[in-house]
Amino acid sequence: MPAAIQTHDLTRSFPSGVALDGLTLEVQPGEVLALLGPNGAGKTTTVRLLNGILNPDRGWASVLGFDPATHGDEVRRRTGVLTEHAGLDERLTARENLTLTGRMRGLDRTWVERRCDDLLERFGMADRADLPVQGTSTGQRKRLALARALLHDPEVLFLDEPTSGLDPSATRDVIDLIGALATEHGRTVVLATHFLGEAGRLADRMAVLHRGVLHAFGRPQEIAADLWQGVDAELDLGGPVDTATADALRAAPGVLAVADAPTGLLVRVADREVVPHLVRSPVERGVPVYGASAKAPTLEDVYFAVEARIAASEGRTTGPPRTDVLSTPVPVPT
Amino acid sequence: MSWVVMRAIIAKDLIAVRRSKGVVIPMLAVPALLMIVMPLLIGLAARGPQHPDLARILSTMPGDLGRPILELPQREQLIVLVNGYLLAPLFLIVPLMVSAVLAADAFAGEKERKTLETLLHLPIATRELFFAKLLTAFIPAIAVSWIGFLCFCLVANGVAWPVMHRVFVPTRLWLVMILWVAPAVATLGLAVMVRVSARARTSQEANQLGGAVILPLIFLAVGQSSGLLLVPLPVAAVIGGVIWLVAIWLVRGGAKRFTRDQLAARV
Repeated sequence: MPAAIQTHDLTRSFPSGVALDGLTLEVQPGEVLALLGPNGAGKTTTVRLLNGILNPDRGWASVLGFDPATHGDEVRRRTGVLTEHAGLDERLTARENLTLTGRMRGLDRTWVERRCDDLLERFGMADRADLPVQGTSTGQRKRLALARALLHDPEVLFLDEPTSGLDPSATRDVIDLIGALATEHGRTVVLATHFLGEAGRLADRMAVLHRGVLHAFGRPQEIAADLWQGVDAELDLGGPVDTATADALRAAPGVLAVADAPTGLLVRVADREVVPHLVRSPVERGVPVYGASAKAPTLEDVYFAVEARIAASEGRTTGPPRTDVLSTPVPVPT
Repeated sequence: MSWVVMRAIIAKDLIAVRRSKGVVIPMLAVPALLMIVMPLLIGLAARGPQHPDLARILSTMPGDLGRPILELPQREQLIVLVNGYLLAPLFLIVPLMVSAVLAADAFAGEKERKTLETLLHLPIATRELFFAKLLTAFIPAIAVSWIGFLCFCLVANGVAWPVMHRVFVPTRLWLVMILWVAPAVATLGLAVMVRVSARARTSQEANQLGGAVILPLIFLAVGQSSGLLLVPLPVAAVIGGVIWLVAIWLVRGGAKRFTRDQLAARV
C-alpha cells in the first residue's frame, strides 16, 4: 500500500533561521504519527508544508499522492487541520463556524447543514450551537475546532497541539476522540505535540524534531533499540533498598545498569531472559521480591533518551536528573 | 474562480462585520453625519428669514462655478452652494473610508483573531481568497455610499423644497461621480489597503501603515472631486476611467504578488 504521507529532504527557512532541515519520513495509511519536539522544533512548519500553505525551499512532500506545493487545493480537500489556536471566529455562532467552513470548502449546503447537526451532537455542542463562540470554554472551542476539521470527512488529519490549554477532563475527551478516529475510522493522523502522554496513548510511530532536524523516527521500541542496549525491567521490592542490594544486582550476569525506583529498582538487562534471574540476588540477601517484569520502552522514555542524546551532542544538560535508568542510557556499542 | 466559495467567504466576513459594533458604528455614523445631518442643517438654515450674501465668496471660486449660483435667487444660493457643490468631495471620502477600514481588517484582522491559518488550510484558491476579501470591503463601501447618497438626495430635496420648489440634486455630474468615480476611488483605496493588511500583524498596524498612503489619496480625491464638478460631463467620465485603470492595475498587481506562502509565513 502506498504511503499516505511521504517527505524527502523537506526544508524550509524563514528570515529568523531554518525552521525545517531535510525532513525525510513516511506515514502509512491509518497510522498515527506523533511529531514531537520542544517549541520551535519545526512541528507546525511541517504541518504547514504538508498541507501546502507553505512551500519548501528544498525537497518534496507527497500527501495522498499529491504534491502539496503544486496541488495544494487537492491536498487540502482531503485533509483536515486542527491548528494550535482553535481559529474559530468568535463573532459567529458554533453552527455558523461549521456551516460557513463547509460552504468555503464548496460542499453542498443541505449536506453541510445535516453534517453540522450530526457533528454538533456528537461533540456535545448541540446546546450551544446557536450561541456565539465568544463565551465558550477552551475545551468547547477545541471540540468545535475538531468537529470543523472533520466536517468533510478527511482522509488525513493534521492535529497541532490538540490538547493545549485544556483541563484534564477535556484532554481525556479529545484524546479519546482522536483515538477513535484512528482506530475505528482508519484515518491517518499526524499529531504535532509536546505532550508526551497523549502522544504515547495515540501514536504508532514517533518523529522527534529539534531545531528543524529529525533526530529519531520510528516505533518507540525500534528507536530504543538504536539508543540503548538491552531491556528495562522493574523489580518490585516493596520500597527503596540499600546500596549493597543494588550493587549486588549490578554485579549479576546480564545486568547493564541499575537505578533506584520508589518501589524498588529499575534494571536494564541484556535481554528478556535475564529478567527471571534478577529475583535470585535480592532473595539471597533476604530482601522480599514482590514482582519482576520486563518493561517495554514507552514513547516518553524514548523521547527523553533522544533529548539527552541531542543535549549531549550539543554539550549541554537536559535539566534535573531523572531517577530511572533512562537518565543514563547505555549506548549501543559501535 | 468559484463564486460559491467566494460568496461563502464574503458572507462569513459580512456577518462578522455586522456583529462588530466597533466597526459598524463609525462606518455608519460618519456617512450619516455627512449625508443626512449636514444637508438637513443647511436646508433648515436656508429656510430661515436671514439669507447670507454669498456674492463675495462665490466670486472667489475657481472657474465659472460661482456664476450659475449667483444667477439663482439669494435664498437658494446657500443650499445649492453647500448641498449641490461643497458636500461633493465628501461623497468620495465615504467609500474610501469604509473600504479602507474593512480592507485593513481583511487579513490583519484574521491574524489578530488567529483565524487566518484556518482559512489558509481550506481548499480555497489564492485568487478566490484575494478577490473575496476585496469584495468584502468593496460591497459595503458602495452600499453605504449609494444608500447614503439616496438618503442625501431625499433629505436635501425634502428640506429645501419650501425654498427650491424643485429637485436640485442629483445632477448628471453627481450621478457620474457617485456611480462611476466613487466605486473607482473605493477600489483604489482597498487595493492599497488589502496589500498593506496582508503584511501587517494587526488591524491597527494596517490602519497606521495604510494611513500614510490612504491620507494622501483622500486629499487627492478631494481635489479631484472639486474639479470634477467644474468640468464637462465627458471629462468627468474620463477622469473616473483613469482612476479605474489605476485601481485595476493595482488590484492585478496585488493579485499576482499575493501568495499563500507569503501569508502563512507571517501568521
